[in-house]
Amino acid sequence: MKRDKTQWIQEVVARYERPLCQYACRLTGNFESARDAVQDTFLKLWREDILDDERTAPWLFRVCRNRCIDMLRKDKPMQPLTDTHAAILPAPDKSPAEEAGLRESASLLLQQLARLPARQAEVIRLKFQHQMSYREIAVVTALSESNVGYLIHTGIQTLRQQVARI
Amino acid sequence: MKPIDEVQLTAYALGELSTAERAEIEARLQAHPEQQAAVDEIRALAARLEAELKNEPDVALTDEQRQNILKAPSGRLAHFPWRALSGFAAVAAVLAIAFVGSFRGASRSLDPQRAGATAVSRIEVAMADSPADRSKDHLQAVVELAAATPEEKTGRLVPLGNESLHDLAEPVAMPVAVAPVKELESAPRPPPLAKPMPIMAADASAEAPAFVNGFHDRSRSESDFSGALDKKVACRISDGRPASVRSFGGAWAPCPPAPDAPFVQPGNTESYAPIQGNAFKRIADEPLSTFSIDVDTASYANIRRFLRAGQMPPPDAVRIEEMINYFSYDYSQPKEDVPFAVHVESAACPWNKAHQLVKIGLKGRELAAESRPACNLVFLLDVSGSMSSENKLPLVKKAIQLLARQLTANDRVSIVVYAGAAGLVLPSTPGSDLATIDAALERLQAGGSTAGGDGIRLAYEEALKNLLPDGNNRVVLCTDGDFNVGITDSEELASFIAGRARQGIFLTVLGFGMGNYKDDRLETLADKGNGNYAYIDSFSEARKNLAEQAAGTLFAIAKDVKLQIEFNPARFDSYRLVGYENRVLAKEDFNNDKKDAGELGAGHAVTAFYELVPAGVESSPGVDPLKYQAAEEKPAVQEGKSAAASPEWLTVKLRYKLPREDKSTKIEVPYTGSFSDFENASGDFRFAAGVAAAGFLMRGDSAIPPLSFREVVAWASSAIGDDPNGYRREFLDLLKNAAVLAP
Repeated sequence: MKRDKTQWIQEVVARYERPLCQYACRLTGNFESARDAVQDTFLKLWREDILDDERTAPWLFRVCRNRCIDMLRKDKPMQPLTDTHAAILPAPDKSPAEEAGLRESASLLLQQLARLPARQAEVIRLKFQHQMSYREIAVVTALSESNVGYLIHTGIQTLRQQVARI
Repeated sequence: MKPIDEVQLTAYALGELSTAERAEIEARLQAHPEQQAAVDEIRALAARLEAELKNEPDVALTDEQRQNILKAPSGRLAHFPWRALSGFAAVAAVLAIAFVGSFRGASRSLDPQRAGATAVSRIEVAMADSPADRSKDHLQAVVELAAATPEEKTGRLVPLGNESLHDLAEPVAMPVAVAPVKELESAPRPPPLAKPMPIMAADASAEAPAFVNGFHDRSRSESDFSGALDKKVACRISDGRPASVRSFGGAWAPCPPAPDAPFVQPGNTESYAPIQGNAFKRIADEPLSTFSIDVDTASYANIRRFLRAGQMPPPDAVRIEEMINYFSYDYSQPKEDVPFAVHVESAACPWNKAHQLVKIGLKGRELAAESRPACNLVFLLDVSGSMSSENKLPLVKKAIQLLARQLTANDRVSIVVYAGAAGLVLPSTPGSDLATIDAALERLQAGGSTAGGDGIRLAYEEALKNLLPDGNNRVVLCTDGDFNVGITDSEELASFIAGRARQGIFLTVLGFGMGNYKDDRLETLADKGNGNYAYIDSFSEARKNLAEQAAGTLFAIAKDVKLQIEFNPARFDSYRLVGYENRVLAKEDFNNDKKDAGELGAGHAVTAFYELVPAGVESSPGVDPLKYQAAEEKPAVQEGKSAAASPEWLTVKLRYKLPREDKSTKIEVPYTGSFSDFENASGDFRFAAGVAAAGFLMRGDSAIPPLSFREVVAWASSAIGDDPNGYRREFLDLLKNAAVLAP
C-alpha cells in the first residue's frame, strides 16, 4: 500500500508540479512562496486516500490556492479580509522594471489578461491554461458554478473588445 | 426568438453546456447569426489564449522540494525540517566525493536516473582564496549528485506536537554521510573564520542558468567551468561583504541573478510601522517626559543598507534613537554599586541656535568575563525558503559561530530550526563543544515555509528545560521576520513571549536579509521579550553585535528601564524628545512596576536628546499661543517662582529593576547647564547631534529648519575622534551618499 501511494504521489508531482507552481506564482507574486506552497500542497497528499484522476487536479489547485491565501494573509495581517477573494487576490504590485519586463515578454493578449480584475484573470487562467471546466474551477475557487461562468464571460468580453481595438 | 443570454452563449462557445442545453442554443443560433459570429470570435480568442498561455514561462519545484515530498512517511504529514536533513547528507556526500577524487570523474559516475525515488541535490562548495589554489583544503567544486534516499533518518530531529516518534526508532541509514563526517572531523580544521567560510549555495534552487548549462554541457572544458565558478565567487566578495547584493528597483536581488526568472519577480514586501515625530510640548502643560530606553540599533544597519545601494531609506524605517545608539560614546562606568551611570551634557542646538540640546546618556556596567553569569542560549533559526540567500542563513551560521566562540563550558547552546515544521537540531550542548555546534550549523539549509510560532514554542520549551536559575536564559531568534504559519496572531505571539520573559527567559532578535524584511514585527517581539533587536546585514555587523558587544547583546544588567525627565519651567518654555517615538510612556507609567520597558545589557549605553526652548525665546514652535488660557496660566508660572529660584534645568529620574527582581529602584540626577556654543561641546555630543540631524533629514521631518546633509557632514566630520572600528567614518560616507540622493 505504501509503495502504491508513493508511486501515485510521484506521478501526481510529475504531472502537476509545473502547472501548480505557475498558478501559485500568479497568486503569491513570488516564486519562492509559490514553490513553498506547492511543496506543502503535495505533502498533504500523504493524508489523502488516492484520488481519482478527475478529482486530483481540482483538489490540488484548491489546496494550493488556500495555502497561497494563507501565506498572503499571514504576510499582511493588517489587511481587511472581508471579501477574501477580492481582498487577497489583486495582482501583486509590480515595480516599473518588472512591468517593463512583462511588457516585453508577454504578448498583447496576455498583457490585456494581466489587466483584468484578479478574479477574472484567475478563472480565465484556470480555464485556458489549466483546461478546467467551470465545475472544476468552482471547486478550486469556492465560487458557484454560475459565478465562474459569469466571471469568465465578463473577462472574455473585455478581452474581445480590447483585441478588436488593437 | 429572444437572443441567447450572453453568459450562456460564452458557456456554449467554451463547451460547458450539457447536450440538451447545447441543442437548444444551436436551435436559437439559427435565428441570430450575429450571435453565431460572437461564438466564433469567442472560440478564436479561446484558442489564442490557450496557445499563448501554454508558452508562458513556468517554474518547477527544486529537486530538493520534490525529494521532501516523496520522503514523507505514509499517512503522516511531514513534521521534520526535511531540508536540514537532506542538506546534511548532501554536504557530507560532496565532501566524500571531493576527498575521494576529482569531482568530474566522481560526478560522472553518478547517474541521477538510476536513483529512482532518490532525488538529486545540488550543492556548491567554494572555499578557495584564489582559483589557482586547488589543494585539498582549497576545494572548489560544483557537484551534482544523488543523495538522501527516502529512508534516511536521523535521531537528532524531534518533531513537534503529540505525534509518536516511531520514525526515530528506525535505524539510521546514512552510509553516504557517516564516513565523510568522520573524515571531516579528523582532518585538521582550518582556523574558524580566519579564512572565507565555505560559500554554500544554501538556496539549492538558485542555480544561475549559466552554471547549470556549464555543468550539464559535459563537452565544455574544465577551465570554462571553473571560470564561471570563479566569477561567481568574485562577484560575491567584490565589495568586501560576504553577502554581496545588487540593488534591483526597490527590492534587492541576490547576486548572481535570480534563477529561472519567474514571470513575476518577488515584490518588495518590507514593512515598517509608521513613525510620527515627537512634537514640542509646553513645560507648563506637560512638565514630565517619560520614555522607555531602547538599545536597539537595527534601524541604523537597515538605513545603511539602503544608502549603500544608492537609495534613500523609507522615512518609517528611520528610528533616530537607534541611529544614535548604534555608535559608542565615551561614557564612564558607574562608580557606585548601581548598574548605570547617568551623563548629561548640553550645548546650543546646531539646527536652531536659539534652542538648547541636552544629551542624556546612560551607561551600563561592564561585566568582567569571569563574573558574568552562565548562559543558556537557544538559537531559533528561520530556515524557510526566504532565508536562503547568502546574506541570510549563511550569515546566521557565521554569526552563531562568532558568538559560540565567546562561550565557555559553563554555557549551554541549543539550536531549534523552523520552516514548514520545527525541529531541534542541536540539543543543549556545552558552549565549549565547538565541534558539535559547528557540525549542527553546517547541516542547516534553507527551505520550506515559515512557522514562526511553533518554532518559538519549541525554543522556549528547550530554554525552560535547561533553565539556569542564576544564569542568563535567552532565546536568540534569527529571521527575516517572514512568519507564515504558527502563532501568526501578533498579539498572541507577543503575549506568549512576554509571559516567558516573566519566567526569566529573554529574547534577542537578530534580523537578517532584505526584500521581505518585517521590521515592525521584529521590533515588537524583542520589546515584548525584554530583549534587544539588531539587524545583521554583513559579517562586520555580526561581529559588532556578537563578538565586540556580545556581553551587551546577551547579558541584561537591568530590565524595565524607564526615564522620566522633569523640566524646570522657569528656565525653559518647551521641549521635544528626539526619537523614541514608539517608546514614549504616560507619566503614570514611570512609577508603575507592572509597566514593561526596555532592558539594558552589560556595557550598553543609551543616549537620548532633548531639544529645549529656553524661557522667553519664543512660544512653542509650531503652536500658536493659547488665546483663552493665557490668563489662567500666569498664576501657575508665578507659583513656580520658588522652584524657579533653582538654577537647575531639569532632573533625570531613572527607574530600573535588576534582572531577577520585580521591584524597581529609582535614581535621580539633577542637571544644571550653562548656555554654551555647539562648537565647544564634546566630540561625542557633536557627532551624536549630527546623527540625530541626519535622522530628521531622512525622516523628511519638517520640524527642523532647512538643513542639508552637507552641513551635517561638516559638523560631524570634526567630531570623529578615535573611531577605532571606523563606524563613524562609515556614517559620514553614508551621509555623502544621502547628500547626493536627497531631493
